[in-house]
Amino acid sequence: MIESIKSSPLYPIANPKSIAIFGASNNATSMGTGLLGSLLGLGFEGEIYPIHPKEDRVLNIEAYRSVLDLPKVPDLALIVLPTRVVSEAMDACGRKGIKHAIVISGGFKEVGGDGVSLERDLVAAANKYGIRFLGPNCIGVANPGYKVNTTFMVFEGAPGFIGMASQSGSFVTQMFSYLSCYAIGFSTAFSVGNEANIDIVDCMEYLGACPDTKVIALYIEGIRRGRAFVEMARSIVPKKPIVAFYIGGSETGSRAGLSHTGAMAGPDKLYEGIFRQGGIIRARSMTELFDLCWMLGSFPRITGRRVMIQTHSGGPGAEAADACGRAGLELPSLSPETIKRLSPFVPHTGSISNPLDFTFGRNITDYYWEIPKVLLEEKNADVLLYYFSMSGGTIERTIRQLGIPPDQIAEKAAEMVNVQSNSIIRLLETHDKPFVGYTFLSLKDQLVRKLVERGIPIFPGPQRAARAIEAAYQYTCLRDKILASVFQEKAASR
Amino acid sequence: MRADDLIQSGLNRGQKALSEYESKKLLSLYGIPVTREKLSRSADEAVSAADGLGFPVALKACSAELMHKSERGGIELNIRSEGDVRRAYERIIRSVDLQLEGVLVQEMVPGQRELVVGLSRDTQFGPCVMLGMGGIMTEVFQDTVFRMAPFDMIEAKDMTEELRFKAILGAFRGQKPVDMEILCRTLIAVGQIGLELETVSELDINPLIITPEGRLVAVDALVILKRNPK
Repeated sequence: MIESIKSSPLYPIANPKSIAIFGASNNATSMGTGLLGSLLGLGFEGEIYPIHPKEDRVLNIEAYRSVLDLPKVPDLALIVLPTRVVSEAMDACGRKGIKHAIVISGGFKEVGGDGVSLERDLVAAANKYGIRFLGPNCIGVANPGYKVNTTFMVFEGAPGFIGMASQSGSFVTQMFSYLSCYAIGFSTAFSVGNEANIDIVDCMEYLGACPDTKVIALYIEGIRRGRAFVEMARSIVPKKPIVAFYIGGSETGSRAGLSHTGAMAGPDKLYEGIFRQGGIIRARSMTELFDLCWMLGSFPRITGRRVMIQTHSGGPGAEAADACGRAGLELPSLSPETIKRLSPFVPHTGSISNPLDFTFGRNITDYYWEIPKVLLEEKNADVLLYYFSMSGGTIERTIRQLGIPPDQIAEKAAEMVNVQSNSIIRLLETHDKPFVGYTFLSLKDQLVRKLVERGIPIFPGPQRAARAIEAAYQYTCLRDKILASVFQEKAASR
Repeated sequence: MRADDLIQSGLNRGQKALSEYESKKLLSLYGIPVTREKLSRSADEAVSAADGLGFPVALKACSAELMHKSERGGIELNIRSEGDVRRAYERIIRSVDLQLEGVLVQEMVPGQRELVVGLSRDTQFGPCVMLGMGGIMTEVFQDTVFRMAPFDMIEAKDMTEELRFKAILGAFRGQKPVDMEILCRTLIAVGQIGLELETVSELDINPLIITPEGRLVAVDALVILKRNPK
């Protein structure tokens, strides 16, 4: 475990001051040109040196015939060339004195046949000069805070707190837009490709030390350095959570163990245990992977699994209660003190219990301040799960019916949304207890959008919220387990 | 006898596995509780072994080549008299058409709660320990959890908590909870076998019975050998 990302071989790869790019041209449809476009599009502030055998300028940047002609040694080489010439380019980089590279090109080990020996040549060329590289067969890195995006897709959204290492490039580059819907994003995301030199364990080490990363997301199809993987995870988890989505393949059937144990040691079961041993939370889909990252990055410390639910409607309350039960969460009863404090705010049509059902109160602001305040202070609960239902359109209709002139409706509605969102934000700022929302509204709807952008996780539907809360509690338990082990080991060695 | 010697002599005889008797000797060397048992080579020896152990006893055909005893008429359970021991001995000798190491005479261990503990090797993760619901329903329940060796008592305890049917480890229908300390030590010991003995490729303890008093006893065991460890 490193103290600073600067000690990682990935530091110059994710934070280069200058980049030489092989494979970009003035041909708009080539992959290399696309990558250069992504890099320029995000406004990369360092120097870029296109290497091209014929062109003098590439996308209006001065190009060089050979990497050896460059006026300085760039921090990083980005190689997007035909497979057979990649080793040669790597060798030239080595002669120039370049120490870090990303090989985007495919056609290596992953295709078998000649690809295997081509990859061997590539590794040998890099090793000859001590070059550390990501790939081949990857899409590189996105570090939006530093305005680096070597991937084919245009970066959308904003930098966030999710550090990702992925064995699929698509799950980096094609997730930008998806994450921005939830107002979350990558701190740094690596596509590891064939892991010929730098592997996913190295990426975990970097992300573990990365100050912008609050939670680590992994997409895994197979781990090579198994034992190092578990040790690395256990060294990171006391500091930040790790969530993994693993697709196991189907080698189970081909196992021919003589023992029961051998027959049952299929990869899925094995990884299940390995993740738990490493303190890693396992997600069952990409959607869930990012849901859990959203929750854990927002609320890394949850004290228990007792959930208080606030709704103003029977059905969504019942569904949330059911979802919590199925996710292994508990719904505590309200303390007498809470019941007493709530009674002025909840009308006789409602229900002061858990889920708390507000129905339709006289004063709508109670729903956004008084009631959640009391519930956040309920000592029997560890988390508040809160239902959002009021759409922007309904707010505007209400205002119109109050007789406000049409030209002022939009302004008044925005004002009301502000009052409600500020109430909730103020509650969050004054209470430590996690506040998690669920809704069936579009996450673009005014109030919900404001809160999501403020960093409050509001999940589409209660099942996703309940699963996220359960995962946060699981993290607390896994972290405690590893810390207890570390403590015991220290005590024993004393 | 040391564990290395036990395995080496098996390998020298060309065995692919250790017999039940040898397998349990190996487990004993690692502190794993096993059935009290004696290997007998005649009906008379079987009778005196049974007298020594106390009735009831079980008789089992014992051979390194016999990995699935029950399917070949190699097991007789709950034998309560000397006459029955003789008859069981003869039946086993007749029905198993293999060169036997002998017939194992073994204490009958009471208890309906059966676990399986095992060792497998993974190319990436190395020796891995399995804990699960054991007995004949192992493959039906598919309730198994794995850990990479080595691990500590805290991790071993966490394994038990990951089982779906973990309730049977607690107080259960008038039976005492399992001795958790011994269970965790057994899991750790199996991992140690994997780390220390490269010639052991796989291992099964099935069933590992939890007695009504909560004691653990390895009732059957199988150690698969690897001829040329790297």
